[in-house]
Formats: sequence, structure tokens, C-alpha cells
Amino acid sequence: MNALDGFDAALEHRARLTIAVLLARHGEISFSRFKELLELTDGNLGAQLRRLEDDAYIALRRAFVDRKPVTWYRLTATGRKALDKHLRALRNVIAVAQG
Amino acid sequence: MPAIEQVREDLDYVANAVRREEADRGPPAVYVLWAVIVAIGFALPDFAPRHAGWYWLIVGPAGGIASWLLGRRQGIIDGVHDAALARRYAYDWLVAGAAFILVFVPAMAGAIQPTAAAVNVLLVGGVAYALAGVHLERPLLWSGLLMFGGYVALSLLALPYVWTATGIIVAASLAIAAVVRPRAPSPQG
Repeated sequence: MNALDGFDAALEHRARLTIAVLLARHGEISFSRFKELLELTDGNLGAQLRRLEDDAYIALRRAFVDRKPVTWYRLTATGRKALDKHLRALRNVIAVAQG
Repeated sequence: MPAIEQVREDLDYVANAVRREEADRGPPAVYVLWAVIVAIGFALPDFAPRHAGWYWLIVGPAGGIASWLLGRRQGIIDGVHDAALARRYAYDWLVAGAAFILVFVPAMAGAIQPTAAAVNVLLVGGVAYALAGVHLERPLLWSGLLMFGGYVALSLLALPYVWTATGIIVAASLAIAAVVRPRAPSPQG
């Protein structure tokens, strides 16, 4: 069996993996908060979020805070399942590497 | 780069982002608010004992509601909606609040001197804040430890205004939680 079996292509990128992990730990996180936490440009972050959204791993909600538009993201059930599977695969890789 | 090296770097990146998110937890305004409430409320039994009961009856719950609103607003400003964490905070401080009230039962029953209850507030506060520091927000650990120090000092020293001294120690401990914020690591490590 290949040690990389079970890896999810959408979660292989570390920014996307971090987004999924943060959303698994917290209910909803805004775009601007992700930008602060990941130190990514708007374009790069938007692309990573769109990829996860296209795979239905995350869902978004638009709202207004002090008249400013805020986009909130949350992990979907599909995303949570994919993250669990990906983390299991990561653990397997570490276990194989440690012998 | 070997896969394992890549995995390790990616996991470091994830861990740093998670730590960074946790480092910003807790609005300092809540601790400043309670430092002021406690400093005034604990001075009252020494200087205006008739007003102490009413003060805590009104300001105590009002402070709780204000803390909830400040926490909620901070969450929106920070860009994090975490209902599970909000519930953990609520249960933690509800239990701590109940323990603070129970401290006064022996004094009301005449089993101990009221001033002894004031000192015991520091012990209960020390436990409540130190554990909140372990489980919720790290700066509260220092508040708790300071309250433990205050408990030992007031137990050994016979000070004239015990309530006021207790209030000052609690207020100073809370002010520390507002000032000491953990350093957030960058996502790069």
C-alpha cells in the first residue's frame, strides 16, 4: 500500500488544510480573519477558499457588520468527513516514516 | 523534498495558524470591566456596607450580560463565530460564579467571620482563574496565581480593610489578564 493513499487533493495544499482544520475547531471564520491567520493575499486566499467551496467542503454566508460586507465560512459535513480521512492518511504517513 | 519532510512542514504551518488563532482569544475589555466592578464592589463593605448587597444584586448580573455582549462583539470583530467555545466560557464562569456565591454561605450562617469570607474569595478566584488559564485563555493563569499569592498574604497579615484589599488584589489580577496577551506565532513558524 502506498503511504500517500487516502490523501485528499483538495486538502494537500497546506493553506487549504489549515482552513479546514480551523473551521473544524471553530464554527465560522471570516475571510479577513483567514487573511490575518494565514498571511495570504486576497487573491491567493480567495483561490484556496474557492477550491474548497467547489468541492463542497466549505459553505459561505454573506453578512454585514457595521455596514461592511463580511463573508463567513463554515465546514460542511462533507468537508469534515474529508478532513478526517485526510488526517488519518497523514497519521499513516507519519507512522510509516517512524517505522 | 521527501514526503515526510513536506508533511512535517505543512503540519507546522497548520499548528502555528491554530496557535495564532488561540492567542487572540478573550476581549481585554471584559477584564477591565470586572476589575472596576470588583474594586468598587469590594470596597463597599468597608466604607458603605448598606449599599454592598444592592450593588452586587444589580451590577453582578449586569456585568455578566455586558461581558457576554463584549465577547460576542469581539468575536464579530475578530471574524470568529464559535458557539461551542462561547458555551464553554459560559459554563466555566457560571460554575465560578456559583462558587463565589457559596463562599459567603458560611459567613451568612455565622460559621465564619465575614472578613474570612473575603479572603476565601481570593482562594476560589485563584482556582477559577488559574483553571480558566489552563483551559480557555493563558493570561488568566497569571491572574489566578496572583490571587493565590493574595490569599496567602491576607491570611498571614492582619490588614484593617480586608474587603478593600481583596478587591484591589482581584482587580489587579484581572488588569494583568487585560494587559498580558500571548505572542501569536506567524503561520510560517
